[in-house]
Amino acid sequence: MSIVTDSWDDETVLAALREAQRARRAVPPEFIEAAKSAYAWHNIDAELAQLTYDSTRESADLLSVRTEAAPIRALTFSSAHLTIELEVTPDSLIGQVVPAQSATVVVQPSTGAETEFPTDETGSFAIRPIPPATFRLHCRTDAGLDVLTRWITL
Amino acid sequence: MRDDPTVIALVARVGDGDREAWNELVERYAPLVWSICVRYQLSRPDIDDVGQTVWLLLVEQIGNLREPAALPGWLATTTKRECLRILRAERRHDHAVLPPEDQMPPDDADSVIEQEIIKAERDAALRAAFAELPPVCHELLSMLIGDPAPAYAEVSVRLGMAIGSIGPTRARCLERLRRSPHLVTVLGSQAGAIEDEEPRGEHRD
Repeated sequence: MSIVTDSWDDETVLAALREAQRARRAVPPEFIEAAKSAYAWHNIDAELAQLTYDSTRESADLLSVRTEAAPIRALTFSSAHLTIELEVTPDSLIGQVVPAQSATVVVQPSTGAETEFPTDETGSFAIRPIPPATFRLHCRTDAGLDVLTRWITL
Repeated sequence: MRDDPTVIALVARVGDGDREAWNELVERYAPLVWSICVRYQLSRPDIDDVGQTVWLLLVEQIGNLREPAALPGWLATTTKRECLRILRAERRHDHAVLPPEDQMPPDDADSVIEQEIIKAERDAALRAAFAELPPVCHELLSMLIGDPAPAYAEVSVRLGMAIGSIGPTRARCLERLRRSPHLVTVLGSQAGAIEDEEPRGEHRD
């Protein structure tokens, strides 16, 4: 038995227990339910594409030259065999699969229905409207590549 | 804390596809994620956003955690990073000048996060130990930690327990709680060094 445990007198234990219960009650039930439902995304069987570039991460350096127009945000997701480039325009997501090839891009919101967007033969695609919440892109190329981006929140 | 068998077992079961284990993991650590968001003073919608991202990342990464017992550290670090991402985005939106560093000075932020991890582990262990107490202890202690704590006379009426036996029962129940294996693991390791809390399985963007 550890000394630390033995040194807790009754009042200390009771106070600690009170605080532990309070901390648990402070968390809204919806917050916990949303966390539990994230399990639906367990064991996705596709190659994961990591976020390798995000223009907003560079923006601190650009503040001094910023104009009135909001800069277009650019994101790049890379896996071993495929890169997905994204630009966030005011009303859409413009994307490109690299190397250029035909594919189907599926928007997977963390909750709700999926939407499919076919690319043209150069791998270009446009997603309208911009997905409102957290989502990921699942890209299946005609050549059989199967790539899933990390979660995106714009 | 890194040797806490509860966490290691839960992570392993989630890896095997056990949804109940995932729910237990969430119940155990949601207060940690929540409390860090509160520390950063995020709005409720932003907290929900952070929570969603953190748990989705965990589902994705849980099979790759090199050291399952470091999960609390991973969760805390990931939550902190997502909080900072939102704060930075809001500052950009407000056209405010970006401060050179984040809201809390880095040293303070790190020690706050470490404190939150230690507290979350202690709280989770206390709740786990409490849940395993015999019903009479559970009822009595639940009443005694109420705010305000009731007088013994009221406890006596509500639990049908002689006033004279409340004190000894309370002492016995608290001793059982103190001796719970859950508390031995966590409290025993609190004497250990903080560097044990470094997240091991942190992912990189």
